[in-house]
Amino acid sequence: MLLLMSTYCVAQDSLSTLHRQAAHNQGQFKPAKSKFMMRGYFDTYIDYQRVESSDRSNMAIGEISPIMMYRESNKLFFEAEFNAFFEDGEAKAEIEYADMSFVLNHYMTLRAGYFLLPFGTFGEKLHPPWINRSSSKPLGFSQTRLIPSNDVGFEFRGAFLLSRFKLNYQAYVVNGPQLVSEDGEDQFSGMLNFGYHADNNLNKSIGGRLGFFPFSNSMLEVGLSGFQGKVGTDNSEYDHVSVDMTAIDLSFVKNVDFIHGIIDIKAQFNSVKVGQANYINADDSTTTYTFDNSSTAHYAQISYRPVISSKYLRRFEAVYRYSVLNTPVGAVWEQNASEISAGVNYWIDWRTVIKCNYRTVNGLLGNENQVMAQSHHFVVQWAMGF
Amino acid sequence: MTKRIILLATLMFATVPMLVQSCAVRQDVYLKSGAQIWGENCIRCHNAASPGTFTDDEWDVISMHMQDRANLTEEEIEKVIEFLKSSN
Repeated sequence: MLLLMSTYCVAQDSLSTLHRQAAHNQGQFKPAKSKFMMRGYFDTYIDYQRVESSDRSNMAIGEISPIMMYRESNKLFFEAEFNAFFEDGEAKAEIEYADMSFVLNHYMTLRAGYFLLPFGTFGEKLHPPWINRSSSKPLGFSQTRLIPSNDVGFEFRGAFLLSRFKLNYQAYVVNGPQLVSEDGEDQFSGMLNFGYHADNNLNKSIGGRLGFFPFSNSMLEVGLSGFQGKVGTDNSEYDHVSVDMTAIDLSFVKNVDFIHGIIDIKAQFNSVKVGQANYINADDSTTTYTFDNSSTAHYAQISYRPVISSKYLRRFEAVYRYSVLNTPVGAVWEQNASEISAGVNYWIDWRTVIKCNYRTVNGLLGNENQVMAQSHHFVVQWAMGF
Repeated sequence: MTKRIILLATLMFATVPMLVQSCAVRQDVYLKSGAQIWGENCIRCHNAASPGTFTDDEWDVISMHMQDRANLTEEEIEKVIEFLKSSN
């Protein structure tokens, strides 16, 4: 009897423990707040081009860029973008960014991982084909070895209101770019490799951007960006080489009544200064050469989209862009070119556009014979955000 | 390097909150509606999505992405999401 009673008591105790555990779990594991989403963008195009007197046409796809977004809570967030593309007939994939962020307070978010650098606005915000009003990137902005694109590290960012103004800031610490100076890449000596690399020195690069909205309706934003860091490999002859980069960007978007449409102006000026270094001459490895390693790249773009009653005409948009690229005189990769681009876009819906674009590029286009060249492109591009 | 990091940290942790504390936000800016903020900010980069484009849950995820991309304050993004959820 005693045995039966003690067994009963133990069983009851176990049951109540289970009940307590269940009740505890119910309180602890509330319905999930985590949410996952996949978005992205894609484009395909036809490019008819004439370089000097040679004609060529090509149909291609741009990049398939899925973006994964995961919200763990209203404080924690993860996102990653992948780029799949064809290169020389082979399918390839890259990570554009993969980072997580934590909202520290009303005015500051911490982000860490591999992220797009807020150097100006084009690289971080305006490059996706369904956002970029032109069918190509401005000169210099498609150069992966000139303007900072993405890097690994951490960043503080935020925005706040001041009186009738608004300010936003980003400040980051990253591994930093690396100077191209090795054998086998002589044609790129003096350029910078951005992106994901194991750091080649103990120095971390720092950078940031400060954006200022002078009007309360956010129609105008002026931004100033800076980036500084050592790019040479520790204990090499390039140990001392560093880079200083600055950028000024401008955005003006306004629905202007008297022209019955939205005017959108974007501009960015970039300056890149890499320290003095001697590079091995590709033709004679016993000699070296040097040059003033300073580059500039800038663009200005204006677009107009009518806001009128006709539902067909309001889908059209006119766009014009001028861009210039000047890379160092004396470098093997010297380029001094300007570009004019003009076109008409037709918006199928808010995130799908067909662009008909004419583009001409004049100047020294990095050819080894240092011959001035001119190219003409007619591009029809179909881009979609999804 | 250490000096630069200290300088950076000081700039963020001291200057920013001081600025925020010292300047009162103008009433008309503070009282902007979610619809107004949505109309002013989306088109700075791309066409504005209509509220019905995404579900409430999807807007919650997109809000965190867009708060960073568009440099919106926490109050601004909360108002925009409230507007979008109430209109979809």
